[in-house]
Amino acid sequence: MNGHYASLLHALLPEASLVLGALLVLGFDLFSGRRNSASARLSASVIIGLLAIAAAAYHACDAGVGGNAFKGVLVLDSLGLMTRLGALGLAALTLAMAPGVVRLRHPAEYVAVVLFATTGFTLMAVVQQLLVAFLAIELASLSLYILAGFDKHRPESAEAGLKYFLFGGISAAFLLFGFSLIYGLTGSIEFTEIARQLQVTQGNTLLVVALVMILVAFGFKAAAAPFHLWAPDVYQGAPASSAALIASASKLAGFTLFVRLFWAGFGPVAGGTGLTTLPGWIPAFVIVAVVSLVLGNIAALAQTSVRRILAYSAIGHAGALLLGVLVAGRFGPASLYFYAATYGLATVGAFGVIAVVERAGRCDDLGDLAGLYRRSPLLALCLLVFVLSLAGIPPLAGFFGKFLVFSQALKLSGLAGTAGWVALLAIAMSAVALYYYMLILKQAIVVAPRPAAESAIKVPTPAAAVLVLTATLLVLLGVFPSLVLQLIH
Amino acid sequence: MSLSPLQLCLLFSSALFCVGLIGALSRSNTILVLLGIELMLNAANINFIAFWRFGPAPAAGTGVVFVLFSIAVAAAEAAVGLALVIAVYRHQKNIRLQEANRLKG
Repeated sequence: MNGHYASLLHALLPEASLVLGALLVLGFDLFSGRRNSASARLSASVIIGLLAIAAAAYHACDAGVGGNAFKGVLVLDSLGLMTRLGALGLAALTLAMAPGVVRLRHPAEYVAVVLFATTGFTLMAVVQQLLVAFLAIELASLSLYILAGFDKHRPESAEAGLKYFLFGGISAAFLLFGFSLIYGLTGSIEFTEIARQLQVTQGNTLLVVALVMILVAFGFKAAAAPFHLWAPDVYQGAPASSAALIASASKLAGFTLFVRLFWAGFGPVAGGTGLTTLPGWIPAFVIVAVVSLVLGNIAALAQTSVRRILAYSAIGHAGALLLGVLVAGRFGPASLYFYAATYGLATVGAFGVIAVVERAGRCDDLGDLAGLYRRSPLLALCLLVFVLSLAGIPPLAGFFGKFLVFSQALKLSGLAGTAGWVALLAIAMSAVALYYYMLILKQAIVVAPRPAAESAIKVPTPAAAVLVLTATLLVLLGVFPSLVLQLIH
Repeated sequence: MSLSPLQLCLLFSSALFCVGLIGALSRSNTILVLLGIELMLNAANINFIAFWRFGPAPAAGTGVVFVLFSIAVAAAEAAVGLALVIAVYRHQKNIRLQEANRLKG
């Protein structure tokens, strides 16, 4: 038994370092915070937080790919390792761009809650048991609700936090109810044992109810239509760095758990991708993906707020990511991971640019970006890279994410299956998406600055470093996608 | 038609879940929405206990442990929820959801 706990500790050292880091941040601020200014407190907290994330990344690599740990509750495979590193990296980027950009009255608490959320993400990356999965999702979600409502001065932030919480709470109840039915049907909460039981039991109504409830809950978390209602409000109202974390790292970790739960756990009841579909969860998936792709991309056309455009584009991307989950069953999760990670990078960068512009004035309306190239060439150049990557223009990383997912979906069963048609729809919708992405770039690069706001924007050094690093990564991964792809088997 | 205890429990929990969902979706007072969410979570807890009690292997205790954890999560969720309700109350001086409509488009 002792051996089990030693292996558990070894597998969970990344989470332990993150929690320890969060406590250190709070403790350090408690003892030394009173004497310092708010910006010094934020810088100190961010440095401790980054050290904790670095320690977590080291321990994640150290735990390596050792297969099942703690009697199969956790699985340390290449997908888990890469998701952990990806979530840690995205969280580090959102933290590092905060100093000098985000105004907070409680900087240490903010960093601590970000670290708690990251703990949830890294746990979601490796779990393969319902109880720990539920706890990891809830740890991450509860932290994100707090982060969304963190800016107490702005009523929009509180409202965004409340709306996110109410939708998230309902989806958590759906998730728990679905899990309880799965437990009742299979008598187990381990993914592998659930799969073994589902192979022998015949499909029945309870199973359908359970699958639908779990799909609804994950649809909420991933902001897939028709469960997307919270996303635009939260992206618009939350502080920019919180919105960046909600849009990037939580998506990456969520979709990894999604793949594990649905393929490792519910694989036997997947159903087929053929046009004459077998009953299973794949047809339901396809419907949600189609609705997300269409609704997200069409509704984004009508938006005037930059953040809401990003939110609706996130709904569209959620549809494409669901397609990635479908192909993960046959071709492995590498393409899904690549799509989610590069999408996360581009979103973090875009919200970083928004945060810096907001610091200098406001950045709600599209027109607030007008003349960005004259006010700050660096910001305009970075925004160009991020938005083009979101749109999927080669040679940026976003293009290869889309290319891999869509080509695999077409290979799945060609046009004889639903997946191929959804891939064609997704390609068509990418063309629609290009229009509203170009609207953002037109304001930033072509239009002259407004007379009221044409002063130059000063980019703080940490934020500039983060933006340049993110843009470089997007170009690098676009040119050499195999750097990441070969690491996931 | 006679129902087994497990079926009765499942009927009860499903009814509770539906009541909670309807409450959460139809109420305009935020606290009552929170109550609805709590009802839904507790319906799932009843499921776990029923499946554990009447299931094939009650000795394992998985269901009970799951419920203990989910009660703790529900408590944390209520704490976060009430904190956000207070944050909204500070700005709009009431907790009606219809008036939380600054964000739209």
